[in-house]
Amino acid sequence: MALLEVEDLQVSFDTASGRIFALNGVSFSLERGEVLALLGESGSGKSVTASAIMDLVPNPPGAIDRGSIRFDGAELLKLSRNERRDLCGNRIALIFQDALAALNPVYPVGWQIAEMYRIHGRNPEGGVEKAVIDLLTAIGIPDPERRARQYPHEFSGGMRQRIMIAMAVALEPDVIIADEPTTALDVTIQAQVVDLLATIRKRSDAGMIFITHDLGVVAELADRVAVMYAGRIVETANVFELFEDARHPYSVGLLASQPRVDTDEDELVPIPGSAPNPVALPSGCAFRTRCPRAERLCAEVIPPLETVGPGRQAACHFPVLTA
Amino acid sequence: MNQPLLKVENLSRHFGSGATPVRAVDDVSFEIARGETLGLVGESGCGKTSLVRTLLKLGPATSGSAVLDGVEITKASGRELHELRRKMQVVFQDPYQSLNPRMRVDRLISEPWALHPGAVPKARWQEETVKLLESVGLRAEHADRYPSEFSGGQRQRLGIARALTLNPTLLVCDEPVSALDVSVQAQVVNLLARLRRERNLAMLFVAHDLAVVRHVADRVMVMYLGKIIETGPKQSIFSAPAHPYTQALMSAVPTPDPRLRGHRKRIVLQGDLPSPANPPSGCRFRTRCWKATSICAEQEPGLTARTAAPGLLTACHHAEAASNAMPASSKG
Repeated sequence: MALLEVEDLQVSFDTASGRIFALNGVSFSLERGEVLALLGESGSGKSVTASAIMDLVPNPPGAIDRGSIRFDGAELLKLSRNERRDLCGNRIALIFQDALAALNPVYPVGWQIAEMYRIHGRNPEGGVEKAVIDLLTAIGIPDPERRARQYPHEFSGGMRQRIMIAMAVALEPDVIIADEPTTALDVTIQAQVVDLLATIRKRSDAGMIFITHDLGVVAELADRVAVMYAGRIVETANVFELFEDARHPYSVGLLASQPRVDTDEDELVPIPGSAPNPVALPSGCAFRTRCPRAERLCAEVIPPLETVGPGRQAACHFPVLTA
Repeated sequence: MNQPLLKVENLSRHFGSGATPVRAVDDVSFEIARGETLGLVGESGCGKTSLVRTLLKLGPATSGSAVLDGVEITKASGRELHELRRKMQVVFQDPYQSLNPRMRVDRLISEPWALHPGAVPKARWQEETVKLLESVGLRAEHADRYPSEFSGGQRQRLGIARALTLNPTLLVCDEPVSALDVSVQAQVVNLLARLRRERNLAMLFVAHDLAVVRHVADRVMVMYLGKIIETGPKQSIFSAPAHPYTQALMSAVPTPDPRLRGHRKRIVLQGDLPSPANPPSGCRFRTRCWKATSICAEQEPGLTARTAAPGLLTACHHAEAASNAMPASSKG
């Protein structure tokens, strides 16, 4: 049994321009010790997936219409609000994208890390204070005793992101969800954070869901990748298969449009058009309006996510096959 | 000998007076030739945007000079400045903030013509607007719409069309694609490359994304804490960077190839950017540099040719071509 299993998840939001379906039947599973990347562009539903798992979908206007999220055998969507809150932070933890917005500006960071232990009634060996200092040391904050008493604004962006990570791993959760943790950072700082996440995954057997739009970071960190487009998963594959032999035309297009620092080719191959308006998704396959392989069938039937090889799936009527 | 289109000499931009002003741009010199694209890279706080704003005369220079096509930008005012603005136009980072939401596209595009009478006679505005829209990959009917009706990539195309209305010789692009999704980003990168060829545009292309810069630039300039620390032709900068900071920057870019995981030599810089109000003595990078010795604290290294790489200028006492310059603590 997988550690976390999401099945047929549908999440919608009421907006001024109509009801939009942010997730249209998302299914995936996460194993212990595995890093699963949710890869997609703006509006593809990556962050909503994280919100649904963490019980952070604002209701109203949002609602989980159907589906199931099973964690360690228990159906999360059937638990009470309090039972969910108990799990979150404790066994499932979230690293937010914007650390400055996620940290409370009026409390010292040491106090905020310690809050994790207090709220969940944990008594780490050697006391909370020592645990906080140990965590700050582990994430590479120099002079941790002094720094623990400082406020978020006294830290650089990279340090704040590392503090977010420290808070997320404080209680040694089983699932860590990282929502674009490196997006707002400069490359050299991004490298520090990616390194820290790689260290954490080596040390614990937690499963990690890594949400990103950055193919480079995916290549660096992920074991398996689920590619999202317009609220659906369109392809899942292990990271090597995806980069060498992607099946879904969207994944292929994404890889071709990525500029690389290690090649000198002048012309990039973009995907024509732009992501569809979620209020009025195209009929059938949502990608068909930008797809070079689209035929009539694509407008009529939504392609299901089907097995296309050992451990890999694609949702396409005419998947790309390399000879 | 051809005159460069833009010649910048010892340009500085300091903020605040008193004993310790913030030296956002400090004694920077460079040139851009006609039709050439110069990539400017560096991390947050290195002075990229301050440099761009000073060049566009959106803020005063503290000292130094910048000459565009024979006109001194830093001293221009009134009529002269108005004319200068025709020649240098800008594409901003955020296409959601740089277009007036209450102006229709046809007005957005023709506004510069209204401000510069004589550029295009009013009778031809409509025709020229359509031509411009089509040249950036939009359609004639888009002229009747408002910015909110466009996607991010389309808005950036509008921003580019607007920057081209007065037929500038220098296009300054300040992070023009960093707000866009990868699939759309490639469209805009290709569009800029095509426009540049068709119009013989010179570009100053500011970006923190080295991969994008590699695709568009002829030459590259790396900034750190208000200084240019390395500059040269694209080939030299990317294949044989000699400044430790450039090397660290290059090595930190994640490569979209999982097979290279663990095989690449990564230089992970320690610490954070020092304050530009109180930069380290000598070489500004020395506090984070694994090669720093006593000379680095005493003497500021000049930007000169220090390795065999053609055209490469490096401001480092210990400049060394990349291959044998990896630090002992690098990740294998």
